[in-house]
Amino acid sequence: MVVRDKMKIPRLTTLISVAALVVLALFPVVGVSLSWLNYLFIFFIYLALANMWNLLAGYSGLICLCPHAFVGLAGYTLAIGTWLGVPFQAGLIAGAIVAALFALLISYPVFRMRGIYFAIGTLILPEVLKVWFSYWRPVGNVYQGMGAGYSVTGVAGVTLVDTYWLGLAIAAASIFLVYMILKTKLGLGLTAIRDNENTAASAGANVFRLKLYSFIIAAFIMGIAGAVYYIFSPRINPTGGFSIRWLLVPLMATVIGGEGLEEGPIIGAAIVTFLTFRLADYGAWSLLIQGIILLVVVTVMPQGIAGLLRQVGAYRFPVKLFQAAEGRIHKS
Amino acid sequence: MTETAVLSLDRVTKSFGGLVAVKDMTFEVQAGEVVGLMGPNGAGKTTLLNLIAGVYRPDSGRVLFQEKDITRCAPHKICHLGIARTYQIPQPFTHLLVRDNLRVAATYGCRKGDASDLDEILDLVDLSKQKGTMAGDLATVSLKRLELARALASNPTLILLDEIAAGSTEAELPRILDITRQVRKMGKTIILVEHVMKVMVEAVDRIIVIDKGEKIAEGTPGEVMKDEKVMAAYFG
Repeated sequence: MVVRDKMKIPRLTTLISVAALVVLALFPVVGVSLSWLNYLFIFFIYLALANMWNLLAGYSGLICLCPHAFVGLAGYTLAIGTWLGVPFQAGLIAGAIVAALFALLISYPVFRMRGIYFAIGTLILPEVLKVWFSYWRPVGNVYQGMGAGYSVTGVAGVTLVDTYWLGLAIAAASIFLVYMILKTKLGLGLTAIRDNENTAASAGANVFRLKLYSFIIAAFIMGIAGAVYYIFSPRINPTGGFSIRWLLVPLMATVIGGEGLEEGPIIGAAIVTFLTFRLADYGAWSLLIQGIILLVVVTVMPQGIAGLLRQVGAYRFPVKLFQAAEGRIHKS
Repeated sequence: MTETAVLSLDRVTKSFGGLVAVKDMTFEVQAGEVVGLMGPNGAGKTTLLNLIAGVYRPDSGRVLFQEKDITRCAPHKICHLGIARTYQIPQPFTHLLVRDNLRVAATYGCRKGDASDLDEILDLVDLSKQKGTMAGDLATVSLKRLELARALASNPTLILLDEIAAGSTEAELPRILDITRQVRKMGKTIILVEHVMKVMVEAVDRIIVIDKGEKIAEGTPGEVMKDEKVMAAYFG
């Protein structure tokens, strides 16, 4: 009985996930308004970032405060690439690869630090990059006497619908990736390291290497998500590309949604997206309001919304429904 | 060095700042042997285990395991070679299930992926009923057992036990002794650090007594107890 349930239920969940993906993919075709596609696109980008941040902070114990380094580097790679005649599709991959290589490069120094020291160590990196890209201008005319901004050229033909699909693909890939990692040996090792690095090492886990895998994977996906954003909004400058917003979004989404829980970033990214648009009119006040929401969530539900839902047993009814449905399918 | 020595330390010294924690330590452990490490608080017993497990690197001297020099090996490498250890203060993976705690060691330890006898290990340490419990929710005594279970799950040749009986009641001691005997029967070589005399005397073949980082006596439990230096170290 138990074995059968275990084998059957994933099939129904797979079915539902695939159905949700298909419905979302069909949105532009069935005439969902452009403003909704716009909202959803931002949600997808935020979701991909949040999923990867959750992989690092929630499952690997790496409080990584440099997602904006990965986003900015990938965005700049894409922009500079298009100036050199590289098609944007290749630019996306190149951007992700540059972000991943950057992660590899910094891994040795930053992994020597643990916990809060690792966090602070990573936080300064985007600031360094911000300064670097303010002075460095490899292609194009000198701009206001220094490096600074680029527009992404050659993407005029890319419509919102195209970027919507790209965003959807990356968000779906990020969910699937985390799901797969957690099922494998790598996921087991990462959660062990998160809980106790010394014990993980004495149980035979190569702590440095496992952390590096998760760091590089996260950098790659964050990079590609950032690059897709800069196709949607084809203009990058140091303060925008390396903006702390790219850190706050995944951090808030993960913490509000539920760190270390698979569904956490999905809930959190939806809330953060909603807030971004809802509070856009309030200017600087929006940051204050988001900060207050974060404070309330952290104090009232330390495990985030998903943690609270699990605690009160909100999933019990849907799971029962699931099992009933499974039972019926099995009988027929 | 004799042929059957599983582990041998050759004039190992380790100091922290001005404090010499372990000084010129030399001893051998034979295959299948149970060796006890004894000494007053701060004598350097745990430091010695950390030196063997690769957590610390000696300032001088060598550590050989199955005739291989492991002096400069990282902790995970040493685990792969076949040395597992428990911690004096339990260090579980708190947010993983008891069974998954073992799976980590089974997956990454000395055998690569074979997790078939995890249930037997859980049985041995009386944790079968709690295998679906979050490790962070276990009581202290169970956590001590989990330490041992995790060490066994990595399938070691040599197992370093750091005070597994500490904190147990008198009534629990026979069971701990029984478990130790069974681990021995599995063909494991054991180094035991223990303050509980009953466990020490009944479980081990040989005791090495250290004080202020130096070996002051070595022999069977009976011999060691009569040694004047040992009495002096303990009772002044």
